[in-house]
Amino acid sequence: MIQQLEQPFTDEQSLAELNPYVRKWFLDNFKELTPPQKYSFKLISEKKNLLIAAPTGSGKTMSAFLSIISRLFDLSLKGELEDRVYCIYISPLKALNNDIYKNLTTPLEEIYQTIVKEKGVDIIKSNIKKVSIAVRTGDTPQSERRKQLIHPPNIFVTTPESLAIILNSEKFLKNLEGLEYVIIDELHELANNKRGVHLSLSAERLLHFCGKEFVRIGLGATLHPIEEAARFLVGYNGDKERDCIVVDASWSKEIDVTVMSPVKDLIYTSGEEIENSMYLEIDRIIKKSKTALIFTNTRSGTERVVFNLKKRFAYGEGIAAHHGSLSKDSRLEVEELLKKGSLKCAVSSTSLELGIDIGSIDNVIQLGSAKSVTRAVQRFGRAGHSFKEVARGEDIVLTRDDLVECTVMMHSAKNKQLDSFTIPKNALDVLAQHIVGMSLADKWDVDDAFALVRNAYPYRSLEKRDFMKLLDYLAGNYVGLESRRVYAKIWYDEKEKTFGKRGRFTKVIYMLNLGTIPDEVAVNVFSTSKKWIGNIEEEFLSRLKQGDIFTLGGRLYKFEYARGTKCYVSEARATAPTIPPWFSEQLPLSYELALEIGRFREKFGNEVKRSIGRFVKGKALQQGVPEKVNAFLGNFPIDENAKDALFGYFAEQLLFAKCMPNDHLIVVESTAEEDSDSRHLIFHSLFGRRVNDALSRIFAMLLGEMLDIDVAILVNDNGFVLSTEENVELNKGVVDDMMSDIITANIVNMLKRNIKKTELMRRRFRHVAARSFMILRNYKGYKITVGRQQVNSQLVMKAAEEIDPDFPIIKEAYREIFEDVMDLERTKEIIANMAKGRVKYKFIKTPSPSPFSHSMITFGHADVVLMKERQEYLKTLHNLVMEKIGARK
Amino acid sequence: MILNDDIELIDGLPAIFVNSLNAIVIADPHLGYEGVMAAKGMLIPKVNLKHIIKILEECISKTGASRIIVDGDIKNEFSTVELEEFNELKEFLEFIRGKSIEPILIKGNHDNFVERYKEAFKLKVYRQQAELGRYLFFHGEQQPAAKKSEFLIMGHEHPAIAVFNKAGKKEKLRCFLYGKFEKKGLLVMPAINYFAAGTEINMYPKDALLSPIFEKVDVDRMEAIAIGYGSTMSFGKIGKLRKL
Repeated sequence: MIQQLEQPFTDEQSLAELNPYVRKWFLDNFKELTPPQKYSFKLISEKKNLLIAAPTGSGKTMSAFLSIISRLFDLSLKGELEDRVYCIYISPLKALNNDIYKNLTTPLEEIYQTIVKEKGVDIIKSNIKKVSIAVRTGDTPQSERRKQLIHPPNIFVTTPESLAIILNSEKFLKNLEGLEYVIIDELHELANNKRGVHLSLSAERLLHFCGKEFVRIGLGATLHPIEEAARFLVGYNGDKERDCIVVDASWSKEIDVTVMSPVKDLIYTSGEEIENSMYLEIDRIIKKSKTALIFTNTRSGTERVVFNLKKRFAYGEGIAAHHGSLSKDSRLEVEELLKKGSLKCAVSSTSLELGIDIGSIDNVIQLGSAKSVTRAVQRFGRAGHSFKEVARGEDIVLTRDDLVECTVMMHSAKNKQLDSFTIPKNALDVLAQHIVGMSLADKWDVDDAFALVRNAYPYRSLEKRDFMKLLDYLAGNYVGLESRRVYAKIWYDEKEKTFGKRGRFTKVIYMLNLGTIPDEVAVNVFSTSKKWIGNIEEEFLSRLKQGDIFTLGGRLYKFEYARGTKCYVSEARATAPTIPPWFSEQLPLSYELALEIGRFREKFGNEVKRSIGRFVKGKALQQGVPEKVNAFLGNFPIDENAKDALFGYFAEQLLFAKCMPNDHLIVVESTAEEDSDSRHLIFHSLFGRRVNDALSRIFAMLLGEMLDIDVAILVNDNGFVLSTEENVELNKGVVDDMMSDIITANIVNMLKRNIKKTELMRRRFRHVAARSFMILRNYKGYKITVGRQQVNSQLVMKAAEEIDPDFPIIKEAYREIFEDVMDLERTKEIIANMAKGRVKYKFIKTPSPSPFSHSMITFGHADVVLMKERQEYLKTLHNLVMEKIGARK
Repeated sequence: MILNDDIELIDGLPAIFVNSLNAIVIADPHLGYEGVMAAKGMLIPKVNLKHIIKILEECISKTGASRIIVDGDIKNEFSTVELEEFNELKEFLEFIRGKSIEPILIKGNHDNFVERYKEAFKLKVYRQQAELGRYLFFHGEQQPAAKKSEFLIMGHEHPAIAVFNKAGKKEKLRCFLYGKFEKKGLLVMPAINYFAAGTEINMYPKDALLSPIFEKVDVDRMEAIAIGYGSTMSFGKIGKLRKL
């Protein structure tokens, strides 16, 4: 049973659980217990499974470890501490592992020294040992690993991948036989992806090996729904859900964030001016802080901000960038400088949002939208080192959509409404790896193995049929008998219903290829004179055709040709790109937040409508923010500029389109652009990008089939655009037909057809094939390059499909796209709600795109620094709007 | 599709029928491809041989040919004959002989060791090129030496074209390239291999092509005859397709 605990224990109760030496050390070093510790010391001492959600700086690490350390010293004092592992700590980050090691080594040493001082020579006589700790990650040298084998540490710090390797290292595994505790840190970073799914199976295998339950402790910053996270942590024991106590202390730290617009008017202020104001604002914040941390969302954005701050304000070495493309060493250096407090400001894309110790930050600046409440809370939560301090920050927005988004987001954060995470369910590729791993260790009865797998929460609903198909696949049953010696990883006896390992190289293959993080292809871009310019993603490359103009590193290039993973371009003299910048680096807006924005649109829209109702046309806009509107916005954490901009945006939309899309009203706008043959159907559907991705494809197919035309799609978080160059009428009748067709459509089949030949499918298939050991990344000592891995993945896919349309690898690739990339479940829900009339639609025809659609039309892309051309275009669109509503500026 | 009075491009398939020789011509089967890939760690399903046999069955029943000319690269690996390749080569030849058809092989760059098995398989193998009737068959990795022939047929390049639909989606189609070489006819065969989807000729610079013959032939002036969706159809000159 999952049980939430809200009443903490008293400090006396908690401290009474501790070994006297450990307690003394704790009281010497800390004034009091932090909120999570008030629960955890006692619960862990009582060997309860426990999940703690608490912000950074709330003593989370100690809350998990202290009771364990206490128990180990109890054993040591009795002379019973053995040379084996009692506790495994797992985190997704190597850097965090190193932090934990450092942060625990000192207390362990200090506690031991107090004992030494008191006991003197008795130490040796009574066999009182030190409590030992060691780290093992992919970076741990061979010599250190050997040492760990001979002298196993009592506390073993590792990553999910290294743990998986250990599960098949017989010698080391013996040291884990009496394992008592497993701690999983940064659970929020694992529960929503395949690394976490992989770990959940490792935990069940570990339990199978140990033969008895261990205490499971989960730690995370923000987890919602927390019960779901608890189930992920503990899993099942046969028919029974394992018990777990949940403690939610994630709101013990207060957050005080202001959303600010650098200027009053985000449309007619020149890009230069907006940029200037933004940097002045940032400079002001940095100057008043000891150390500030800036998040930009993209790596290129990080680079540009650092460059600009250095150039404009001569920060010199006081400012540094930290993102995934930088080398490990330079990232470590920045982390060290932060810890020492010798940096004035660090700029990061996403990499510093995780729990590594970065010392004391007193202000966090977010540029643009963090795209989810959870992420925003996590990022701003980095400010204020101790849990007692208020986390202060500024969210600086540069576009009107970001402004709406952030206003709602920070309001939700204030009201403690987090968006939920989803756990990938029944991932067949991860399971394939574990079946191989299991067979390497043992001979298995099919039913026993299936039962073990289903104990892991992500596989609770796994179907036997899928499990059997995987066994078939791994046994090489998809090729003739004579080839199985190469293809098969396991043998599978259908009569006996047993399976086990097969092949001399299987273990090597397994050890070298396990893990879930795919190799990504960075396509290198060269000038025609073979000079390297930068990288683009392969998915972007696949959209380019000769002559296309795109931006890279802030400059325009013309695509010439590509060969393998090299792309050749020439300098472009054009003024605007012909192809939208790729947004896959951009985070999708969460579903909950999208709905919340929909609700805000309705409420605030009504407020604005009432205030402008008595004005003729655009007059309303010249009056400034009406009092009532101003009062309404007073409930939101935003500055004055932001209020002006919000009012202007909504008033324009209402005056122009006479209606306001919201969470239960999809507005479908039929429009065209000046000087262009393009006709658009703009769907204002506020369901987040993952739902819009699926919805847009289905609508595009319906439209294409109905009118027999090619339809282009642009998707963003606030809706999507279907465009065609054909001379067709996109009228109400067409939309009515689409809306009634979608209710009866077989959307799964349609989507399958739609994505079958896309680069998205090819790429996901390649990832899944690599995870399922069909395309090996590392074989007999060769590293297989990604270029090679992707050789004809489309044809390999077709070949597999010919053998069986439900071939596990294909099935998983579709699942990954439908459930992890898109959100098919909620898409279905929305279509069902359309059928029931809970979600309605309204057709409007506009002479030019309405204000709310401008960002969709202009590629739905806004980076830290606005692109000049994009802004010019925006102004043109906006001018048309103002003309119509009679408020031309 | 009828190419000229003697050559038919068999609709929808990467194969041709030459009337005067009563022969089906294919190029680049790369037998044993999956086995060779498997040895490199890519355990892809085996479909190539089955796919090729299916194509040939259709060709044979449509044309009643008495010979099959393989215009190079019957197998995949450069240096040795792998077991997989040997088995597939055997099955391939057994299939052809079972139909009372004579196999003729033009040696390609991947066929270095195939001569070793010439005797065992009683196989007619021509080194680099063969003049049969009015035709010169050659694989394409070297310049041809045409004496009396009027028409050249080669493989090696695995040609394809990329076309874009109106919504900007790319589609790749295997194709024949048809044009002139020193006033003689020149036909470049698409690969019959299942996995060799081909090089997008209209997306590549001329100097990036594989065969040295394109030092002498302007590929932009060659016609692309694409295969797909059950038919074979001319898409016009490569030069024009570049500007799409």
